[in-house]
Amino acid sequence: MIPLFVAIPLGMAFIIPMVSRKLTRAPDVLGNATMVCLTALALASIGRTGIYHMGGWETPIGIDLRLDGLSVLLLIAVNVVGLAATLFSVDYMRLYTSKFRYYSLFLFMVAGMNGVVLTGDMFNLFVFMEIASISSYALVAFGCEHEELEAAFKYTVLGSVASTFVLLAIAFMYGMTGTLNMAHVATKIASEGMSTPLMFALSLFLCGFGLKAALVPFHAWLPDAHPAAPAPISAMLSGVLIKAIGVYVLARLLFNVFGITDNLLQLLRWAGVLSMVVGGLLAIGQWDIKRLFAYSSISQVGYIVLGLGLGTPLGLVGGLYHLVNHSIFKSLLFLNAGAVEYATGERDMRKLGGLNKVMPLTGGTSLVGSMAIAGIPPFNGFWSKLIIVLACVQSGHYALAVTAVVMSLVTLSFQLKVQRYVFFGSVRAGLDRLQQIPGLMAAPMLILAVLCVGMAFLIITGMDTPLLIAPAADALAGGFFTL
Amino acid sequence: MLDVLLNPMVLPVTIPVIAGFLCLLLPKALDRVRGFVAVVAAALTLVAVWPVFRGGNQVADLAGWVSLRIDGLSAFVLLATAVFGLLITVYSVGFMKGKARLREYYAYVLWTLGASLGAVMANDLVLLLILWGFLGITLYLLIGIAGPDAADAAKKSFIIIGGSDCILMLGVVLVWVKTGSTRMDGPAMALGSRVAYVAFLSFVAAAFAKAGAMPLHSWVPDCGEKAPVPVAALLPASLDKLLGIYLLVRVVVDLFTLDGLMKGLLMLIGAVTVLFAVMMALVQHDMKRLLSYHAVSQVGYMVLGIASGTAVGIAGGLFHMLNNAIYKSALFLCAGAVEKQTGTTDLDRLGGLGKAMPLTFAAFVVAALSISGIPPLNGFASKWMVYQGIIEGGRGGRLWVIWLVAAMLGSALTLASFVKVLHAAFLRKASPDVARKNVREVGFTMWLPTTILAATCVAFGVLVHHLPLPYLIRPAIGASVDFTGVWGAGPATVMLLAGIALGLVLYFLTSARKVRTCQPYIGGEVMSEPYIQGVARGPSRDVEVTGVDFYQTIQDLPLIHKMYDLAAKKVFDIYDVGRGTAMYFIEALRKAHAGLLPVYLTWVMAGLLVILYMLMRLWG
Repeated sequence: MIPLFVAIPLGMAFIIPMVSRKLTRAPDVLGNATMVCLTALALASIGRTGIYHMGGWETPIGIDLRLDGLSVLLLIAVNVVGLAATLFSVDYMRLYTSKFRYYSLFLFMVAGMNGVVLTGDMFNLFVFMEIASISSYALVAFGCEHEELEAAFKYTVLGSVASTFVLLAIAFMYGMTGTLNMAHVATKIASEGMSTPLMFALSLFLCGFGLKAALVPFHAWLPDAHPAAPAPISAMLSGVLIKAIGVYVLARLLFNVFGITDNLLQLLRWAGVLSMVVGGLLAIGQWDIKRLFAYSSISQVGYIVLGLGLGTPLGLVGGLYHLVNHSIFKSLLFLNAGAVEYATGERDMRKLGGLNKVMPLTGGTSLVGSMAIAGIPPFNGFWSKLIIVLACVQSGHYALAVTAVVMSLVTLSFQLKVQRYVFFGSVRAGLDRLQQIPGLMAAPMLILAVLCVGMAFLIITGMDTPLLIAPAADALAGGFFTL
Repeated sequence: MLDVLLNPMVLPVTIPVIAGFLCLLLPKALDRVRGFVAVVAAALTLVAVWPVFRGGNQVADLAGWVSLRIDGLSAFVLLATAVFGLLITVYSVGFMKGKARLREYYAYVLWTLGASLGAVMANDLVLLLILWGFLGITLYLLIGIAGPDAADAAKKSFIIIGGSDCILMLGVVLVWVKTGSTRMDGPAMALGSRVAYVAFLSFVAAAFAKAGAMPLHSWVPDCGEKAPVPVAALLPASLDKLLGIYLLVRVVVDLFTLDGLMKGLLMLIGAVTVLFAVMMALVQHDMKRLLSYHAVSQVGYMVLGIASGTAVGIAGGLFHMLNNAIYKSALFLCAGAVEKQTGTTDLDRLGGLGKAMPLTFAAFVVAALSISGIPPLNGFASKWMVYQGIIEGGRGGRLWVIWLVAAMLGSALTLASFVKVLHAAFLRKASPDVARKNVREVGFTMWLPTTILAATCVAFGVLVHHLPLPYLIRPAIGASVDFTGVWGAGPATVMLLAGIALGLVLYFLTSARKVRTCQPYIGGEVMSEPYIQGVARGPSRDVEVTGVDFYQTIQDLPLIHKMYDLAAKKVFDIYDVGRGTAMYFIEALRKAHAGLLPVYLTWVMAGLLVILYMLMRLWG
């Protein structure tokens, strides 16, 4: 079952362009069918663990795919959000041409992300990361207009810098330990300790994956790239990509391969707080809806990294729970922005207004998303923020708790800015007779909004923590990988 | 699950919440029924609250951490909340008739009611936090219903309320970690450490934001002006006040043990709130905005009473909260009646309503005298207790004189500002706008609640020792209340009435027939010639005497002038101050993000160097 997560999307990415010359509906149907399969697989893998040896080769020679609690969590986030994005794409992507290229690139990206979160081999991880990254560069540029191309160029340059750092780091690591298998590296480091070249490799890793995760000061590409992409891709990029190939890998390497230390935790906390504050403040000043959401992603990733950086069991749970929650509400918000753009052709909030009257479903779901991201009860974002703040206080980091609370207030204010200028207020001239949002675009928004409430309900009744979050946190807290 | 929902203590929450969904789902054809459903639900809620109120102290641990508790304090607030919920729902039926978005309106009102009742009963800090946050959302949506104009007020209110909710979260977490429990019936936390102070202030901030005390008050006037009147009456004037003050009492009495420093701080905030808000009220031209500033000002009295830490002070604070909810909702509902009939609440464009709307006028007069603390009405009774609390709590110190003077001065200024409203809206000649409209009294669903409330003002004032104190207030604080100064409401009322009667007799006997004619003057100033001629020619906008102008002179007084200038610049509005501060940092950050790739690459390299340095130095 484990290799299917990579094999299915990778295969379909090649099949779609081949068949769609004749069958014009094929990209939509096949793309969505693939994501349905993957979502089902991801849900079926809850509670499972296992190691798959690729091609039947034993560990030192072949490549491992490792499935554990943390991978399951990420797989679910990636594929559920992916499904919502493909559903949304059916109608939304009519705004663009050559759908088959779009779906093909999309599935490459999904295959890359699924591969990254499953693989147990450093070089394999690099390859999957590049698959996901390069297809995302192309997807950002998909509109082929000035703005998209400029954003994609910046994204590509900084992304390549990240990839180079990672490759260099892998080379150092291989040189020092003689192996690329994460478990082997971990065993080696656990028994022999760190050396200066390994330390250098670790710095490069932190920098490279920090770039992918868009942590301040490595965040500069994100506010350009995420708004420029088509809305469902923005949802994927902000919702899951920065986490799957950024935060996840950072956590994996620090906790399970290099071994976490107090200093590293401190580094994570600083990066988290810095991202939280800088991203949040910058978001207030924006007038482009998607750009505002993009900055808020930087801020929210800060919360996740802060939670992980506390290193306590509760902190890990909070961080990972926030990771899942953020992927739900941020992709919801980007889809809302997409629906607004689809109906009005406008992303500038100053030219919008009163859409609640015209697009009640989009308005309603975006209110849910906004409340969730701002941490207003009873939505899911409230619970993860509560846990993070609780973990901060519990571990004695009072200043961090206060910062997290204040940034929560900041988040609320810029989300209300969106509500105020896009959905409340008086209807702008020309916006009163808009076309209806097609059902297939409405459905994913509705599903994600229900999930915002559902995830909260699950934690209130104590169901999803043992099911999803606790195994993931245990996987990190378990320390060095073992064979 | 079902047995939890039908638990007698949960029923007051379940009924309105379910009825809210019902109102939301009823088809448009049944719009007439919607209001009826809401009224029935609110009435049933009151019926469900009654046994809980009578049931004495009880704790219900329902499921996991969901725990409810009833004690004297919550029973009292619970009953008050349910009663006001019902009154306002009844009023809404008349006021909201024919308006848009009724479906959502009734749903949000009922959910607000349910969540408020839940919050009052919550025995768990996390449960309280959830309901508190949920109330913020419904408030936001309710203000938003008023239409496009209210969008900014809705945003501002929710940023302050929602923001205070975030701060409450910090307080809850601090208490949780420090005491190891989130139950509210546990031992009180001692103040003294920095953490305890922060926790205490977080709770107080949430209570103040909800109740509308300074410096978190600035959403109240905006909300009062823009939101639909029943919403303004329901939320900032009554329910939110009940909740905010409830939380304040809980925090001061049950959750923490107050120390001198915090007590002084709270007293200061109370005194400043009383004075500053009433000064702002004096110069308002919009009736609803003026009333909203009073809604802020009155909170100051409650804070003064509660922060005094004495039994009589706390009892006075709670009693004042109840009285304020009564007369303030009466005032708001009267303002709503005026708005419904004339289409405006701008004092410059009203007048002559005393004759046109006698019932509304009568209710307004009673409520206005009550809020100004005129004996024998209820506002006086509670202020009297608050004063005693201030004196008694201040024994040994000197500061109490300041608080007492502030409170009394505030009371006088309140009266001054209501004289203005009474004149401008009711007593003076009808403005051209009003004259044209042929204004009549409102329908009974709208005047009934106001007159009932006004009658309650009288009853609670005259029968203070027989009705409210023994049945509501004493059980609420659970301790005996000692009065240092005795106020015999009954004899005093008789004396007052006798005095008035005597005055009337004298008037008719002596001066009634001796009429002196002189030049018209206002506020001690003789009116100019064009005015006198204008009056002769019939009413017009230029020659009106609205009664508002006189108060302009207050604005021009030397020191006070400066204060009003600063207020106009929104220096006292924490919302604008916060926004300005944030914008300062944002501008700096935005300048750094100019979109230059080389700059971004430099950041990356700098980041790498910092990481390298840290790792190498720390482990090297």
